[in-house]
Amino acid sequence: MNICVLVKQVPGSDAHFAITADGAWIQEAELPFEMNESDNYALEEALQIREQNGDGEVVVVSLGPDRSQKTIREALAKGADRALHIKEEPPYHSDPYAIASAIANAIKAENFDLVLSGLQSDDLGFGQTGVILGELLGMTTATLVVGTEIQDGKIRVKRELEAGWFQWQTMELPASLAIQSGLNTPRYPSLKGIMTAKKKEIKTVSLAEVFADDNLQEFNGLSVQHVEKQTEMIEGSVDQVVNRLVDVFKNEIRIN
Amino acid sequence: MSEREVLELDVLFVGAGPASLAGAIHLKQLLRESGQDASVAILEKASEVGAHSLSGAIVDPRALNELFPDKSVTDFPFEAEVAEEHLYYLTAAKKIPFPFVPPAMNHHNCFVTSLGKLTRWLGGICENEEVDIFCGFAGTELLYEGDRVIGVRTGDRGIDKNGQKKPQFEPGADIHAKVIILGEGTRGSLTKKLINRHDLMQGRNPQVWAVGVKELWRMSPGSVPQGYVAHTMGFPLGHNIFGGAFLYGMQNDIWDLGMVVGLDYKNPAVDAHHELQRLKNHPWLHSLLEGGEMIAYGAKSLPEGGWFSIPKLAVDGAMLIGDSAGFMNGQRLKGIHLSMKSGMLAAETIAEALSTDNFSAAQLADFELRVEKSWVKDELWKVRNFHQGFDNGLLAGLFNSGIGLLTGGRGWGFKNRISSESGHLKMEKKAERDRYNDLHFDGTYILDKVTDVYYSATAHEEDQVPHLHVRDQDVCTTTCAEEYGNPCTNFCPAGVYEMVPDGESQKLQINFSNCVHCKTCDIMDPYQIIDWVPPEGGDGPVWVNL
Repeated sequence: MNICVLVKQVPGSDAHFAITADGAWIQEAELPFEMNESDNYALEEALQIREQNGDGEVVVVSLGPDRSQKTIREALAKGADRALHIKEEPPYHSDPYAIASAIANAIKAENFDLVLSGLQSDDLGFGQTGVILGELLGMTTATLVVGTEIQDGKIRVKRELEAGWFQWQTMELPASLAIQSGLNTPRYPSLKGIMTAKKKEIKTVSLAEVFADDNLQEFNGLSVQHVEKQTEMIEGSVDQVVNRLVDVFKNEIRIN
Repeated sequence: MSEREVLELDVLFVGAGPASLAGAIHLKQLLRESGQDASVAILEKASEVGAHSLSGAIVDPRALNELFPDKSVTDFPFEAEVAEEHLYYLTAAKKIPFPFVPPAMNHHNCFVTSLGKLTRWLGGICENEEVDIFCGFAGTELLYEGDRVIGVRTGDRGIDKNGQKKPQFEPGADIHAKVIILGEGTRGSLTKKLINRHDLMQGRNPQVWAVGVKELWRMSPGSVPQGYVAHTMGFPLGHNIFGGAFLYGMQNDIWDLGMVVGLDYKNPAVDAHHELQRLKNHPWLHSLLEGGEMIAYGAKSLPEGGWFSIPKLAVDGAMLIGDSAGFMNGQRLKGIHLSMKSGMLAAETIAEALSTDNFSAAQLADFELRVEKSWVKDELWKVRNFHQGFDNGLLAGLFNSGIGLLTGGRGWGFKNRISSESGHLKMEKKAERDRYNDLHFDGTYILDKVTDVYYSATAHEEDQVPHLHVRDQDVCTTTCAEEYGNPCTNFCPAGVYEMVPDGESQKLQINFSNCVHCKTCDIMDPYQIIDWVPPEGGDGPVWVNL
C-alpha cells in the first residue's frame, strides 16, 4: 500500500503576527514555523498503516517555500520514505483549488492507494485541500477521520460527527482522508531517523510546473480584526444572579 | 520502539550555540584539509537551532572572519553595523552622557546581532558540512568508563508527571563518542556535573554570573535607527548592584532593550525583570518606546567571572567550551566571538587527537595551551579583574577598570588577581521590598512577568516530572521564608517559583512550564538546593530573533 501524506509548514501556534506594510502577507522574519498539527497525526497514521501492512511507501508531499524543507526533513526523520516538495514563492496566495490541483498534477502518476492530509491548516484553515484533491484524482473521500482500518482491499474509517457521535464507513481505495488531530500518538523522531533522513530523496518541482492556471479566488489583503472583550459583573441577590446567568447561558451563549 | 538507541560517533558537541557550531564547522574544515574524515554531531535541547539562543548582542566579527576567510562581514547575518554609540549615566529622570566612550566599551567595527539568527545561519552551514544536529534531544547524563567520559545519554521522552511511561514513551539514547565537547551555554547541567566530579574549579575564582533580561519592541516604520547602540549605568540599579541596560537598533523597526543584573546583589527582593520594567519608566525610554508594541521576551544568565573563573578545560574524553567554560568578556559585554573561538581552538585539538587516536586528558590539555596562546587569553587577561572591582559598588568598579586599562588589567592598580566569592553568598538576610513600590503593571507598557513570559513563547509538556529539582522543599517554607523571604520568587525572571497558601502555612509551587532556561535559580538560590535539569527534549522557549 502506497500512501501519500500532505504536510504543511505553518507559523507556530503561539506566534505573534504582524502584517507586512503592503498588507499582502504576514511578516515572516520573526516567526517560528512548525509542522501543521493535524498533518503530524496524518503522518503518524500513515506510518502505522505502513507498519501494519508490512509493505509500501509513505511519501511526504509539501507545498511551500524553501523553509518547508525543515518540516519535510522532520517527516522523513519520523519514518517517511521520500518526499516531494512543490516550491511556492511568496506571496502565498494560492486558493485551495490551485493547491489541490498542483498537488494532484504532481502526484497523479504515482497512483497512490491512500492520500492522508490534516483536516485543515492552522494558518489559512480552508480545510478543503484533501477533499478537492480526492475529487480531482477520482478517489473516495472522507473528512474528520478519527480512525482507520484496512480490510480486504478496502478502508474502514471512523468519522467524528457532532455531539459525540461517530460514523463508521467502509470505502473503496484509492481514498483521500482528511485526518482529525488526536486519533493516534505521534512518535518522536529518533537519532538514527534524523541521520537517515538526510539521505532520503526530496524531489523538488516548482508550483508553476504543476499548476499554471489562474486562481479561482482573488486575494485582496490581510487585516487584523478588532476584537472587543466585554465583562459583565452580575450583581444582586443569589436568585437574581442565578436568573441572569441562566438568561445568559440560554439566550446569549445559547447552551442547549 | 522501546529499545534504547545506541549511536557510535567520533565527536559529539552538546548544545548548538555559537561555540559548538563554530567548533563543528572548523573541525570539518580541518579534517578536509588533512584528508581525514570523522562523524561529528551536535545535540540540541531546543526544537530547532536558535530557539534557545539569547544574547544582547553586539558581535565582534573576529572569530567569524577567521572561521570563514572567504566571506566578508556583509555575508554574515548581522542586523547592522554599529553606527552610533552612547554611554549614559541615568538618574531617575535624566540621562547624562559620559564625556567619552572608554576604549573598552568602544564597539567600532562591531555589529548589532540577533544571536538566534546567527546560530540558525551557522546551523545551516553545519548541515552543509554534514554535521548531524539532533534537535529536540537534551543530554541528561554523562556516560563514563572509569573516570573517562565515553558518551552522553539523552533524556527519556514520554514520561508523565508521576514518572510513569506514556504510550509514546521513548527511552533516551546513548551516544558514544571519542570526545564529548560541552558547549551547553551558561551553567550547563552536564557541565555542572563534570566540574563537580572532576573538581575542575580547583584553584580558580568561583564563577560569578549575571542575568540578562530583554524585550523586543516593534515600532512604527522608519523610527528605529539600525545600528544604534546605547549602554547605561545608574538608574534603576543604583550603585550597589552590578549591571546596566542596553538599547540596540535592529532591522524591521525593532528596538532591542535589555538589562543585565549581577547575580551577586545583597537584597533578596531584587528582581531583574522588575528592574527592566523600572527602566522603562525613565522618560528617555518612555519617549523612545511610545507607540510601540512588545513582541518578544527572554532571559539568560551569563558568566561574568572572567579569566580567573575559567575551569580546567579538559578531562579524559571531554572538554568545555563557550559559556559553559565562562569565555565572556564582562567589560566589553561580549562573549560570542570568544565562545566561537574557544570552539574553534577545541576543534584544532580534536583534529590532532583524531589523528593520533588519543583522547586522554593529557592530549586534550592541548586545548588549554591553544587558549593561552590565542587572542582569547590576550583579551581576557586585560580585564581579568573587571568584575571583582564591582564588589565595592559602581564607582569603585569603574575606578578599578579605569586603572586596569593603564596597568594591563591589574586590580586596584597593583593586584594581579583579585579573588572573589560566589554571588549567592553575598545575599543578605533582609529583604527590602520597597524597590518596586512605584511599579504599576498596565498590561501594555509596564508588563508583569506572566505577560512577558507569554511573549517568550516558552512551552513545556505539562504532563512530565518538573525539571526544576528542589532537593528539600521544607527549606522553602521554613528557613528560607524566614531568612530571605523566598528570593526564588524574585530572581526567577519567568515566574516559575511561587509561594501559595497551604492551609495555615504556605508551600512552594513550581510553574515549570514558564521556564525560559536561563539557569538563574540554579545559580542564585542561597541554599544551593535547586538543580536545573533539562525538561523533555524540544521543550522551552521558541525564540526567533533574541
